[in-house]
Amino acid sequence: MEKAKKQMIKLFFANIKMMARNKQALFWSFMFPLMFTVIFGFFFSGDKTNVGKVAILNNSQSQLAQQFEKTIINSKIFDKQDFNNIDDAKNALKKNEITAVFEIPKNFGEIKPDSPKELIVHYDPANISASTIILNFTNNFLTGANFNVQNVQPIFSVKEEKTSTNNFNYYDFILIGMLGMALMNSSVQGIAISITKYREDQILKRLTTTPLKTWKFILAEVFSRLILNLCQISLILAIGVFGFHGHIYGSIALIYLISLVGALLFQAMGFAIASLSATTSAAEGMATAITIPMMFLGGVFFPIDQLPSWLYSIVKFLPLSPLLKIMRQVGLENTDLFVDPTNLIVIFTWICVMLALSLWRFRLSE
Amino acid sequence: MSKTKKLIFKRKIIEVKNLCKQYKNLIAVNKISFYVEKNTVFGILGENGAGKTTTLEMIEGLRKPNSGSIKIFGYNALNDSSKIKEKIGVQLQSSAYYKFLTLREILLLFGSFYQTYKDPIKLLQMVGLENKANTFIEKLSGGQKQRFSIVASLVNNPELVFLDEPTTGLDPLARRNLWKLITEINNQGKTIVLTTHYLEEAETLCDRIAIMDKGSIIAINETHKLIEKAENPFKVKFLVKKISRVAFSKLVKLGEMQNIVSKQTEFELKCQNQDKLNQALKIINLLSPLQLSVSRATLEDVFIQMTGKTIENNGESEKAND
Repeated sequence: MEKAKKQMIKLFFANIKMMARNKQALFWSFMFPLMFTVIFGFFFSGDKTNVGKVAILNNSQSQLAQQFEKTIINSKIFDKQDFNNIDDAKNALKKNEITAVFEIPKNFGEIKPDSPKELIVHYDPANISASTIILNFTNNFLTGANFNVQNVQPIFSVKEEKTSTNNFNYYDFILIGMLGMALMNSSVQGIAISITKYREDQILKRLTTTPLKTWKFILAEVFSRLILNLCQISLILAIGVFGFHGHIYGSIALIYLISLVGALLFQAMGFAIASLSATTSAAEGMATAITIPMMFLGGVFFPIDQLPSWLYSIVKFLPLSPLLKIMRQVGLENTDLFVDPTNLIVIFTWICVMLALSLWRFRLSE
Repeated sequence: MSKTKKLIFKRKIIEVKNLCKQYKNLIAVNKISFYVEKNTVFGILGENGAGKTTTLEMIEGLRKPNSGSIKIFGYNALNDSSKIKEKIGVQLQSSAYYKFLTLREILLLFGSFYQTYKDPIKLLQMVGLENKANTFIEKLSGGQKQRFSIVASLVNNPELVFLDEPTTGLDPLARRNLWKLITEINNQGKTIVLTTHYLEEAETLCDRIAIMDKGSIIAINETHKLIEKAENPFKVKFLVKKISRVAFSKLVKLGEMQNIVSKQTEFELKCQNQDKLNQALKIINLLSPLQLSVSRATLEDVFIQMTGKTIENNGESEKAND
């Protein structure tokens, strides 16, 4: 037993050494997820309700018009930019320098029969998210104003009951997605390619001529890759949370634990691919063909429940989907790990399937 | 290099009986049987595809035979492979080692797989690579890689060493350096089993040789006995200014007479026995030869006689001299 432990420790440290020395592979296994973390950080992190600069051409002196302008400025949803006339403002909108132009006609808001009743909003319909916010904002303001004028109180209203009290945004969603993506790519591709390369180079065959047991070789490989995964998770979280104000509301320790379970799942998948591939390029092709579609269909970038129901009923069983679901439940909604055991069951089923496939087909030599 | 070691044969260290390996329609190894004695160099000779590597890999435990038995150190190779692996060293044909570990680290790592292992620096000193201890394998020349590969098979101080085509692809000087190393390893008391398609290598290094062709052993014996099996074991080569018809016809009657390719007055005569050789020499001496040399038949003669062909090194590239 002591000897077995010593063999594994030696192999483990040799693996760590080799990973650290293979600088190119190391660089890309960190660079790929970090690049996305940073790019999405620039797009979606911070105050996501701000839709950008708007112009307010207020030609009315009415109290309502003044109040609308004040509400816009105080809302912090918009940054007001001044323009001398409506044409300049519309030009700026066409050039995408501003997001919308609020044109308040003369005498708008005055309670006179001939005063204008419509507030004009110029916007770019292609900018879907901004135009939705702008129109909702304006409609809400005017509905309130209408109630005031008619001196009535609304009877029906919405009472919001959020499943989570945590206020997470799209970047937080993406940040968890990045963890899943990094684990999947580095484990599936890393194991599949490196093991097939070892086989192609006859290193595995050479190992078979020694008394080293296959399971010791595999465990040393798995443990050393887990160290790489821990570094990846830490870096992504550090950059996401400290660099781009991402949020993790749940237990960080649990996020690490689930990540490592995910890493094991994807490593098992890597071994399965290695056992089915005769050459490194075949392993590379198979790993890419599996990981790229899973990146999109497993919920790295978008919530998969928005997919057509027939497609959702399939993709929710992909290995990455339940993993990201649990990580988001634990990390963003701060729910209990066992609140919905289905996802855990799917993950462990995948681990068993992949291990069975690897045990059946994996050989150190041909 | 001549083999001067006196052979004191001891116990059989490997015993192979009726070994067969079949891949779909191809019979790679066909019912072969042989044994290897302790402290000898046993060679499996044959051209590419003859079944040498498959045979070796079945003995090493890398491939499962379809039928037959293999005993190593008295253990059954199929059931007691872990006990056997502790005591053997294997150098694979064109085996690569970890790219990002130094020579010393590779030897330490492989050493850790065994109960006992040798000091990496001492092993590297054996092949003059001690100054490369902290170098990656990719920085070595072809000959250095091959030397390292052999020395890496000695990491557990094995009793039995398998070398699969150890000198293939090396230039003649590097090849001769490896021959010295292999002899040195054998002199340390280790038994060596090697495959080769170089006839000269087999003749120089091996105490016993099995000649394989198309998956079968077509001849097996001690090297000198194998050579003695040549139909015409005595050779005389001579160059004369001119040769009379009478002398020529007398010589033809004494053995197999051949013109040396592209030379009209240079001949090789192969004789069946010493007596005929002596008679031939008398006739040749009367011709006042410009050059005359007498030699024994070689393994190549036996190989050609048995297989009807010579081994060609199909366009094999000679690697740079280390």
